[in-house]
Amino acid sequence: MDGLISFFASHHAIRAEAVLKRNGLAAQLIPGPKDLSPNCGVALRFDYAMRENVLPLLAAKNVRFEGVHFYRPRTDDWNRFQAECR
Amino acid sequence: MIYFDNAATSWPKPPAVRAAMDEYFGEAGGNPGRSGHRMSVAAARIVERAREALADLFSANDPSRIVFTHNGTHALNLALQGLLRPGDHVLTTSMEHNSVMRPLRHFEGLGVEVTVVACTPDGRVDPEAVRRAVRHDTSLLVTTHASNVAGTLNPVADLAALAREAKIPYLLDASQTAGSIPIDVQALGVDLVAFTGHKGLLGPTGTGGLYIREGLALAPLMRGGTGSDSAHEIQPEFLPDAHESGTLNLAGIAGLGAAVRFVLEVGIEAVRAHKQKLIAQFLAGAFGISGLTLYGPRNAALQCDLASFTIDGAVPSEVGLILDQSFGIMARTGLHCAPSAHRTLGTFPTGTVRFSFGWFNTPAEVEKGLEALRQIAAWAATEATVPRQEAVETWTA
Repeated sequence: MDGLISFFASHHAIRAEAVLKRNGLAAQLIPGPKDLSPNCGVALRFDYAMRENVLPLLAAKNVRFEGVHFYRPRTDDWNRFQAECR
Repeated sequence: MIYFDNAATSWPKPPAVRAAMDEYFGEAGGNPGRSGHRMSVAAARIVERAREALADLFSANDPSRIVFTHNGTHALNLALQGLLRPGDHVLTTSMEHNSVMRPLRHFEGLGVEVTVVACTPDGRVDPEAVRRAVRHDTSLLVTTHASNVAGTLNPVADLAALAREAKIPYLLDASQTAGSIPIDVQALGVDLVAFTGHKGLLGPTGTGGLYIREGLALAPLMRGGTGSDSAHEIQPEFLPDAHESGTLNLAGIAGLGAAVRFVLEVGIEAVRAHKQKLIAQFLAGAFGISGLTLYGPRNAALQCDLASFTIDGAVPSEVGLILDQSFGIMARTGLHCAPSAHRTLGTFPTGTVRFSFGWFNTPAEVEKGLEALRQIAAWAATEATVPRQEAVETWTA
């Protein structure tokens, strides 16, 4: 999942997660990266390639979002690093 | 699971809190003051017992000077909106939470002048700087007791003394300290203390209150039915009814009362000693982690039950995600609703990771937290294997 949607409030983030999951799309709530957006405590990871599908779904449910970002957090190599340490 | 987010809300609550709420639903169940039947009286007893426990905790000799609110923000708004009028001048500090800053910024647009006294880089306000900022038309001093970002304790006795000397009411924001740090309203001589019920006091969310010194009158935030003085269409002026319009959060107050009695039983000094020990242990361990930067006083005696830090090579949200998913540790990351405090500490805009300890945390949990941070800091110091961001495009709604 290399996409990230930022929101103005967790109200929208929680609703967006439900919309994506209901439509069979991968979605994961994570702590909002403040380097991308100062606004929301929680953001939603999703497949960036699916953005053309995702945004109309959110619009149809009146879920407001702040921005859609290409996002690969460093945490993705945390598991690899952990495995190497063992 | 390890819960280090007690400054957001404390967890777990003492079992007596749940029992008291269950008892309200199952047995007391009525609405105080409204009806006078035995269930209404039982509910009124629960409310007054909770009020008395709070008066005990804060050494207020008259429980009627404590009014219940829905949270700390509600209490702060009651105090600020009840006192401030156009033409007034307010003194505050650069470490305030948005629950003080946002109402003050709103009042600025209505003709209230606000002076924000800059704090030291570790988040403390110098009483002398406050004294120098006092003007002949200053009508309120409002400061936090302890910063929700860095944990820094303010010199509240000195601040209260100088406010008294200058004949300015002093509003203390005790959201982060009530139930964690001893507060004696008589000894301090403070005029207003706003507190929340669900943090250090260990009660349920949706509870809080405001202590109002005898002789100080506030305009009510809301007017309405109080179950008293029912023949009149004018809001009663006596406390606590003047500020308790509408049915109270009775189940919440039942839980809060049990929580405060728990704190009284343990003893506020013992609570403070336990939390200070955990913070001291955390700080000592964190000092030894290469790549970890601590903010605030970095001294357990000078801070409440929380500490903020960053780790080189990883942003706070990444650290928070790993803590949650790999270690089962709940921490708060980012900006903690206090932009001016982050600017003071030099942590704006990416913020910090915050550990906040509660009565139920143990030294063994703190050690597990330190071990997690050691591993994360070691990892963050290595070269990243995935390019962090190739910002192809960003769409903004």
